[in-house]
Amino acid sequence: MRTTVPVIVAFLSGIILVVSFFFQETSFIGGLSQELKVWLTIVGGFTLLLGVVSITRVNFSGVVRRRPGWGYKILTLISIFAMAIPSILPTSWSPLFGRNAGSIYDWLFVNLDSPMMATMFATLAFYIASAAYRAFRARSAESTILLITATVVMLWRVPMGEALLNMLPGDIPSFLNTYVMGGANMAVQRGIIIGAALGAASMSLRIILGIERTYMGKG
Amino acid sequence: MVGLAVVIPFIFPADFPISTTPEAQMVFDSVEALPDSSIVMLVFDYYPSTIAECEPMARTALHHFWRKDCRVITLSNIPLGGPSMAENVTREIAPEYDKQYGIDYVNLGYKANYVAVLAGMGNSIESIFPTDNSGTPLSEIPLMDSVVNYEQVSFIFEVADNATADYWVSIVNAQYGVPIACGVTAVSAPKYYAFVASGQFVGLLGGMKGAAEYEQLVGKRGKAVVGMGAQSLVHLLIISLVLIGNIGYFVTGKARKGMSR
Repeated sequence: MRTTVPVIVAFLSGIILVVSFFFQETSFIGGLSQELKVWLTIVGGFTLLLGVVSITRVNFSGVVRRRPGWGYKILTLISIFAMAIPSILPTSWSPLFGRNAGSIYDWLFVNLDSPMMATMFATLAFYIASAAYRAFRARSAESTILLITATVVMLWRVPMGEALLNMLPGDIPSFLNTYVMGGANMAVQRGIIIGAALGAASMSLRIILGIERTYMGKG
Repeated sequence: MVGLAVVIPFIFPADFPISTTPEAQMVFDSVEALPDSSIVMLVFDYYPSTIAECEPMARTALHHFWRKDCRVITLSNIPLGGPSMAENVTREIAPEYDKQYGIDYVNLGYKANYVAVLAGMGNSIESIFPTDNSGTPLSEIPLMDSVVNYEQVSFIFEVADNATADYWVSIVNAQYGVPIACGVTAVSAPKYYAFVASGQFVGLLGGMKGAAEYEQLVGKRGKAVVGMGAQSLVHLLIISLVLIGNIGYFVTGKARKGMSR
C-alpha cells in the first residue's frame, strides 16, 4: 500500500499532464491539467516549508548538544526567523511587516543578505586567479587547445582584450563569435542539450510507469 | 593583485570601445520592434550573488521597455531575493518615466515549482498568481484586467543565472510561441547560443559584457559599462597568470628532464 498509492498518484499525474498537451485548454482534460499545475505550486510551497523545518531541527539539535560551531548555528536560526517571521506577517499590522520596500525583510535583504551573497560569489575571482597560476597547464594536446581557446575567448569578452585582438591582422573577434561560440561551442552544447532532454524524457517515462521508484527512497 | 585589478579601474577609469555582438543587437532590435504600449514580462531569475552581472541587464531592459511605454509584468522563479530585486529595480526606475504601480507595472512575486508556474501561466496567470507580491488580488490590479495568459504578452525578457532559462524555451516559447530574449551570466552564455541559432531566443546578453553592450545600445550607460574596466584588468591578470604558470611548468619540466638524464 505504501508503495502502490504513490505509484498510482505519479502515474495519473504524469499521464494527465502528458495527455493534456493534445487537448484544448478549455476542455475537461485541459482544466484538470491546470488544476494539477496549481497543486504543484502548492506542493512546491510545502517543500520550502519542509526545508525550513529541517534546517531548524538540524541546527537546534546542534545548539542543544553543543556540537562544534554551535554559535554559528544560533546565528543561522536567528537569521532564518528574523527574515521569515516579519515577511509573513500582514502589512496591515505594520508597514515593517510583509515584503514591501521599507519592511524589515526588505531592509535585511538589501543591506545584509544581498551584499553577503555577492561577496561570497566575488571571492571566486581570487580562487580563479590562484587556479590559473597553479592548475591551468598545457599538459596534453587537448588541454593545450582548451587553454588557448579559453584564453582568446577571455580576451575577446572584455574591451581591453578586444582592443588587443583588433591590433592583430584579420577580424579575430568576429571569427570567435562565428566559429568558436557559434560553431564548435554550439555543436557541443546542442549535443549536451539533446542528450539531457532524452535522459529527462526517459526518466519521466520510468517514473510515470512506476519503474523508477527512487523518489520514494527505494532502489 | 586581484583586489588591485578590481579597484584601480574605478579610481582611474579608462574608456575602451565596447563592440556590439550580433546577439545583443538582436535583443535591442526585438524590443525596438515591439509596438508601443505592449505588455511584456521581465523575469528576475537570478540570485543576489550574480547581481553585478544580471542587474544591469534587468535595469536596462526596464529603461528600454518604459521608453517604449510598454506595460511590464515582473516575476521570479527564485525564492531567495528574486521578488525583492524586481520590487527595488522597478520602484527605483518608475519615477523617471512617471510609471504607476498597478497601471504600468506589476510585480507578481514568486511561486514555487517553476515548471508548473510557467506551464500554468499559459492557461491562466491568475490561477497561478492569485495575488501580486504584496498580497493584492490580481482582480484589483488594473493592468491585469487585460491579461489572462501568454496570449496578451508580446515579449518576455528572461534575466537568469541558472537553468530556468531552458524552461522558458521549452515551455513558453515552444508551446505558446512568445518571443523571448535572454540575459545570462557569462559562464552560462555559451549554452544559449544554440537557442539563439534555432530562433527560440530572439537575442542573448552574455555576462557583464553583454549587459554593457545593451546599456550602450539603449543609451543608458550604467554599472555594466563602468564594470568593464575592472573585468578587463582581472581577465588580463588571469591570462598573465596562466601564461606565467605554463612557462614555469615547461621550464621546470625541461629542467627535471635534464636532471633525470
